[in-house]
Amino acid sequence: MPLTRRQALASAAAAVASTVAKPAIAAKEPILIGYLPALTGPSSSTGVGINRGIQLAVQEINAAGGIDGRQIELITRDTQSDPTKAVNGAAELTRGQKVSVVFGPVNSGESLAVVPLLARTNTPQVHPCWVDTLTDPKKYPMCFRNAPTNQQIGGAANRYVVDVLKHKKVAVISDTTGYGTASVNAYVPMLKAKGAEVVYQSNVDAANPDLKPEILRMRSAGAEAIMPWSVNAGFLSRIINTRGQMEWNVPIVGQTTLGSGQTQALLEKPDYWAKVYPNNFRPVCYTPDGKLTDRTTAFLDRLKSAKIEMADTLLWWIALGYDSPRMIAEAMKNVGSEAEQIVGYLNNLKEFPGVYGDMSFTPDRHDGYPDEEVVMVEANSLKNGAFKLAPGYSA
Amino acid sequence: MVSSIVLSGTAIGCIYALIAVTYNVMFSASRVFSFTAGTLGMLGGVLGSLFIARMGLPVAIGFLLVLAGGAVLGIVTEIVAVRPVLKSLDQHLYVLSTLALALMIQQFTAIEWSTEPLPFPRLFDIARVEFDQQFWLPMLACLVVIVSLELLYRHTLIGHAFIAIAEDNYAARALGLPERRLRMTSFALAGVIGTLAGFAGGEMLLAFFANAPMLTFYGFVPVALGGMGNNRGAVVAGLMLGLFQQTANFLVGGIFASVAVFSVFIIVLLARPEGLVGAALQRRV
Repeated sequence: MPLTRRQALASAAAAVASTVAKPAIAAKEPILIGYLPALTGPSSSTGVGINRGIQLAVQEINAAGGIDGRQIELITRDTQSDPTKAVNGAAELTRGQKVSVVFGPVNSGESLAVVPLLARTNTPQVHPCWVDTLTDPKKYPMCFRNAPTNQQIGGAANRYVVDVLKHKKVAVISDTTGYGTASVNAYVPMLKAKGAEVVYQSNVDAANPDLKPEILRMRSAGAEAIMPWSVNAGFLSRIINTRGQMEWNVPIVGQTTLGSGQTQALLEKPDYWAKVYPNNFRPVCYTPDGKLTDRTTAFLDRLKSAKIEMADTLLWWIALGYDSPRMIAEAMKNVGSEAEQIVGYLNNLKEFPGVYGDMSFTPDRHDGYPDEEVVMVEANSLKNGAFKLAPGYSA
Repeated sequence: MVSSIVLSGTAIGCIYALIAVTYNVMFSASRVFSFTAGTLGMLGGVLGSLFIARMGLPVAIGFLLVLAGGAVLGIVTEIVAVRPVLKSLDQHLYVLSTLALALMIQQFTAIEWSTEPLPFPRLFDIARVEFDQQFWLPMLACLVVIVSLELLYRHTLIGHAFIAIAEDNYAARALGLPERRLRMTSFALAGVIGTLAGFAGGEMLLAFFANAPMLTFYGFVPVALGGMGNNRGAVVAGLMLGLFQQTANFLVGGIFASVAVFSVFIIVLLARPEGLVGAALQRRV
């Protein structure tokens, strides 16, 4: 069909308009980051803490001009601590909102459902969940973890008991949940590989109101340290209380919940919390002389000036939340907001300076948190959401 | 070790026995096994902690409010989950209706109270000794309930009326007994006993929403072992369950203790399906 002069002019004008106007609009469009926190529901305490850091970081990035003039817009879908709602939220973020990156979910149960889904939609994802299988560069090449794995958590506790406290006879106990039994199964061989003797090993119903039989059995077996793996504050407090009642002075070393306010509230005497050492992270801990690193001190000052509450949460949650959008923004500033470019950048990220810890990835390892930063702390030293390093660590 | 087994085994056995009595009191009045029994036990702990620890009410007032709450919940159970299904008792629809109500209350507690176990207050400000109040309170509660029920059923008119509707519902109605009101009173009484179990055992079990399924389950074992509707059998079986469970905890420990408990439970029911104390049910043909 012959082209008329009017049609040719119109199509030429449209072509010019499309090439000129599009970048102008794109430059003003916000960059959409999907965000899947659990802000309500039974597992929301982590999400609420992380959320405070995320909001502060996004405010700071946008106040500083955003990413090449484009503001960051967080598209938040509260998972309500429910994997089904997390999956629905992830589907809407990728298919409806077409976000560039997703941060979250922040609980492992939700991530187990969401990670395969996001992998199918080729959406870059950063999450802070500990379950080992939640990263796999082959199965989930766009998924990165900016937190430790369960292996690192258990490894740090084992190192503390065997290498720092020099105890060789260890009792390992867990509740009967999937997390508890999986932890015991994973950590006992690691302890044995370090030369420790596991003199007691058991999974116990967390609802059992009397743990004296178990603790007596540990003592009879000659245990020099108790390592409980559970997120159930009732179960953990019963272990601590029974040890206190029996006046058995061995250290209790294990999961972060040992140092939580819920566990503390269930102790029969405050003194029973002595010699209890939960996991934590060195950059957000007080050194033995009561100091924080310069980077963390500056971060605390920013939190105070932004009037962010810290007393009812943990500093590492806020720090983790704060680092996450900054790391994503760093990638976008350098390579743009296309999925492949972001993943390519993160695959070669080296020591991104976070408050929570320096993050590094390689194409073969998408677990960014450094081993040596996972440490143990004194449970009864909580101040402003941070703990003091357990005895035996150098400053 | 023996004293520890006896103390905590008897105490937890008394809690199981009280939950079993809660089942029985509801069963006697309606021929319905209401699975809200364990939920009432859980609420005894949660409401006790709410009224005394969180709201700061005196122990006596908090205690009375907990029992009143239990009575109200018992009546609600009768109206919402039992009465509508009584006409089709043989279809056992009450399993669904009472279980649904129990789950709703449990989830509501998890959302509004906490999903974490919270502390239950020390009821008497006395020093901790080996025979601590966390052990003797459930024992005392169990003793008071059993003696009171015996007195009620054997020596009062209303007690005789309860027995009458339990024995033969139609005949009792034909004699002019207010069957519906008596049934509601029985459920209120069961509510009081259930919450008393949780309140007296609060220091052992803590104020925790997940105690509900645990008590529903372990509270049903003495009912099955002791004979349905048999309170004396329930108390004996409850105490045996508590002591056996605690002995198994000491001897085999861990999850094997639960396996041991349920192995014995199954063996006993295979040998005596009517329960250890109950008589074989006879049916007119």
